[in-house]
Amino acid sequence: MKEYVLDEPLTEGFLKFLENFGTVRFLEQLRKPYFSFEKEQFISIRGFIGDSNVEVRYKKEFQDLVADYFHLLLYYYDQGDSGISTLQGQEESIREKIQIRSSPIPGNST
Amino acid sequence: MNPEPQDAQGPLIYLNNAATTWPKPSEVLEEVAQCLRQPLHEPGRTTGNGSMDYPTAAREALGAFFHADPPEHYVFTQNATDSLNLLIHGFVKKTGTPFHTITTELEHNSVLRPLTALEQDGAIRLSVVPFAGTRVNLTAIKKAICRDTRLVVMTHGSNVLGSVQDIKPIAEYLHANDIFFIVDGAQTAGHIPIDLSDIPVGAFVFTGHKALFGIPGIGGFFIAEPDAIAITRQGGTGTDSRTLAHPFEMPMRFEAGTHNYPGIASLYAGIQFIASTGQEAIEKKNRDLTRYFIRELKNIRGITIYNENPDLPVVSFNIDGIENHEAGFILARAYNVTTRTGLHCAPLVHECIDGGKGCIRASFSYFNTRDECSAAAKAICEVAESADTQVSSD
Repeated sequence: MKEYVLDEPLTEGFLKFLENFGTVRFLEQLRKPYFSFEKEQFISIRGFIGDSNVEVRYKKEFQDLVADYFHLLLYYYDQGDSGISTLQGQEESIREKIQIRSSPIPGNST
Repeated sequence: MNPEPQDAQGPLIYLNNAATTWPKPSEVLEEVAQCLRQPLHEPGRTTGNGSMDYPTAAREALGAFFHADPPEHYVFTQNATDSLNLLIHGFVKKTGTPFHTITTELEHNSVLRPLTALEQDGAIRLSVVPFAGTRVNLTAIKKAICRDTRLVVMTHGSNVLGSVQDIKPIAEYLHANDIFFIVDGAQTAGHIPIDLSDIPVGAFVFTGHKALFGIPGIGGFFIAEPDAIAITRQGGTGTDSRTLAHPFEMPMRFEAGTHNYPGIASLYAGIQFIASTGQEAIEKKNRDLTRYFIRELKNIRGITIYNENPDLPVVSFNIDGIENHEAGFILARAYNVTTRTGLHCAPLVHECIDGGKGCIRASFSYFNTRDECSAAAKAICEVAESADTQVSSD
């Protein structure tokens, strides 16, 4: 788990962007609007809209493969709509590596 | 005080007292400071005059508090986990040959893990007795006893359900049948009156940092039958230094190295605080706060409370539609309400009550207020009401 302090507070716009990549849960009626983002095998994020702090958890088995994913989300969010398809492409390449690692190694079964 | 609790979300509401009580009485903080202001008085070792002999004073205070003598049979450790490890491994070492042991589903990992490790090593066979409602009764223990049962390790109070176990009949039965009984009093010591002169335990474990109001890092146990436990740690004691064998006298038999003097001073002051405030007054306030909080929670839709009549100031619950860790995160970060979420190091209880998913635990101490309970319940209500309002996509 890592806690990041961002340059700017999180916005609802960022949540809309996240919806393209995983499951977003948004509880907006709380004292501080809470959100969580879950992307299976990649990462989970949680924090509050308006806060600059965000908590990011990586899947332990693939931590080396997904360690940059949160930074990619932030980077491509700034790119606007074009960032969505570019990141989805990059995501595929990470997913392939995850699948290779998850698959049993041929001839290694006893 | 810590500046962080006073942030934009309002003052900190600390409801994690079953883990560590906070704040500590000012008398405790002052005693720790006083202890560190002067050179340590180390009995048996070269020492100056004028310093207080905290270990001896604390052992005497413990003897009066738990109504069991002699003071030398109170052994200091780091905490309850340390005590349990010392006692369990010491008992197994002393016994020598594999035997049968009983514990319960209510236990903390401080009991379950040492016993499981010993079971895996082939040193013991282990039976885990189920609880009914919120308690383990003598009948269940009796049912599990085998011809070679030598040891029963059991909690006095569940850290999840807040239920106090009726250990007296169990202790009497086990004592009559020559089965060593270790009671884990981590959750009860300081919360309820405990009279060890009336309960024939083999050993009773306590920790300083919970309801005894000490600082973290100090705990201990009362041992009625020291000869049942082998010495598992050796070192300097300030006595019999010419002899390379560790001394057999109590309490050095189980204590080696320099004591945790500030911790012992805090434990001593914590016990004095309870004595001067009155155990009954503390118990009554905790009970009132707990009942009030439960009443407030019962008015909220979508809350499951796992024991509506706890004996200890512990309330475990879940909120429909939201994972306990998420709810705990929101309560902490948005409302400045500190609870403890997850399995509370007691995985077997959670298997029974919530399918092993864990829950949120709010636990109170003498320093909590009704206003805090009310504010925490209001925050929980807001989380519960919001749990269905969500935008999701994939």
